[in-house]
Amino acid sequence: MTDSIATFMTDDHQRCDQLLAACEQAVSGGDWKRLAEQATVFSKALIGHFDMEEQVLFPELVAISPWASGPTGMMTMEHGQMRALVEELNEAVDEQDADACLGILETLHLVIQQHNSKEEGILYPMAEESLGDQTTKILNRLQAG
Amino acid sequence: MMGTGGLSLDQAPPIDIPARFFLTAPLFAIAAGLLLAWQGPTLLVSRWMPGALAATHLIAIGYLGLIMCGALLQMLPVVAGAAVPAVRLVGTATHLLLTVGAAGLAWGLAGSGPTLIRVGAGAAALGFLVFVIPVGIALVRARGAPGTLLALRTAALALAVTVALGLLLVAVLQGWIRVAEHTRWVDTHAAWGLMGWVGLLVVGVAVQVLPMFYVTPTYPAPMRRWFAPAVLVGVGAASAAWIMGADLVGQAVFGTIALGFIGFAFITLRLISLRERPRLDPTLLHWWAAMLSLCGAALAWTFAAPPTLIGVLLLVGVGVGLPAGMLFKILPFLTWFHLQHRQLGSGRFDLRIPHMGSLLSTRWARVQFGLHLLALALLAGSLWVPVLARPAGIALALSSLVLLLLLIGVARTYRRFAALLRPAPSRAGPQT
Ligand code: HEM
Repeated sequence: MTDSIATFMTDDHQRCDQLLAACEQAVSGGDWKRLAEQATVFSKALIGHFDMEEQVLFPELVAISPWASGPTGMMTMEHGQMRALVEELNEAVDEQDADACLGILETLHLVIQQHNSKEEGILYPMAEESLGDQTTKILNRLQAG
Repeated sequence: MMGTGGLSLDQAPPIDIPARFFLTAPLFAIAAGLLLAWQGPTLLVSRWMPGALAATHLIAIGYLGLIMCGALLQMLPVVAGAAVPAVRLVGTATHLLLTVGAAGLAWGLAGSGPTLIRVGAGAAALGFLVFVIPVGIALVRARGAPGTLLALRTAALALAVTVALGLLLVAVLQGWIRVAEHTRWVDTHAAWGLMGWVGLLVVGVAVQVLPMFYVTPTYPAPMRRWFAPAVLVGVGAASAAWIMGADLVGQAVFGTIALGFIGFAFITLRLISLRERPRLDPTLLHWWAAMLSLCGAALAWTFAAPPTLIGVLLLVGVGVGLPAGMLFKILPFLTWFHLQHRQLGSGRFDLRIPHMGSLLSTRWARVQFGLHLLALALLAGSLWVPVLARPAGIALALSSLVLLLLLIGVARTYRRFAALLRPAPSRAGPQT
């Protein structure tokens, strides 16, 4: 296991990217049962990631550096946008609407990418710097998540 | 302390700024196609035909220039975390001047005389100038993805040189100054424009966007770090040698740069094949066609094929195709993004914002790509079979018309939803 918060969180981003790609693969294959499973796995992973940040990482960061509440608030708001898209995706999967699934996955993918680049470029390095001495404790909590 | 500027959501310019660049640009590609359809095979007889020079600048300034400037205004704050100063004013002025300039210069070069050339060239140059200065300021201030930034900085520099050389050529055409071996100066202007400005922007965008859009591996570090400055230095050295008559040196360096671009194209195709997202969407199809055109152009140059073939492959294969492919993603995403923000402001959470697939039809985007390929094939073919020239022009105009209609569709959906998502009247302040 890694001993860096940034690496841990970035790896989780990559896992979500792969799971989203797997959903697209399932849509293209036309296998609705598999898509339903993949979509569930993907939603769980993505929402789980948001929860880790909103319940563990962001509060810890703000507790140490109160001025971080602006950026983390922004990130939480973007999580809200993505949660809404995930909901839309699950509805489209239930309705077996392939075009809608692809369009929503495409939108979600781009939102996730620009969101992640901000977290990986700014927020995670900030967290590493501020939370350096609590890394082990926080990583344990994130992994328990 | 680390800057948090990059996290701000309201750094992006208002959507109408990039949108007006994107919605005007296809008109110029349509005009280029119609010009070819009208003039027929004579346009492509040689690179010096008035029609060819006009079509070149319709595409280079009217289409490519507009799209690239619009996209840069949009993307700089996001990529580089640096806002462009006075973005509304800069955007408005650049858009107007480039539109007038491209039309005037092309019209003048097509044979309508020196006054139009002068006015058009002046307007276009001024348009690029009011663009390059504030963007230069933003780029100097910028911090962010180093590979991308480097390519964008070098591309901006190359644009400045291209425009300066273009003005010099105009002065020669007007008889204000004389240069020995005029052709070599034109070659140099074309090299800075095509290899420097267009080529390096493609590199900058690819390095930033392909890994992000398709989840591919990143470009090799030496390519990200050294390619753009090497091309810039190379084009500088090669053009100096070329103008001074050191033919061998000039050709050797240009050849090396061409090889470098072939390498870039192959790496790009390889990365695309390693992507994690399986879909072969129309944007990817355009990347694929553009990279093959790039290789084709470099090969054509190596084997001393007619210059018109190189021009067609670079200007239409890369220059017309790739931006179209990028717009398929950029405009729908921007639209979604801005509507989303309006929704937050209006509190109308009962409305569902259309996702990208319902903003721009992937099926029609495929049709657009098909027409583009057809135009490219007919254009290349027409260099040997002249009767293909008119159909090629029509295909080019049609593919750009489909692009325009798709973009208009996105803009109309934006309008419709934006009207529904008016900001909620503030509870505290007075109502307006
Ligand atoms: C304000 C901007 C510009 C002006 C005033 C301008 C002007 C000119 C002029 C006067 C010529 C030569 C005509 C002749 O002597 O026969 C020319 C050729 C050319 N320009 Fe531009 N230009 C401008 C921007 C650009 C840009 C941005 C591009 C790039 C991508 C470009 C690409 C070319 C090419 C490829 C040719 C050569 C066509 C051939 O092979 O004959 N120009 N330009």
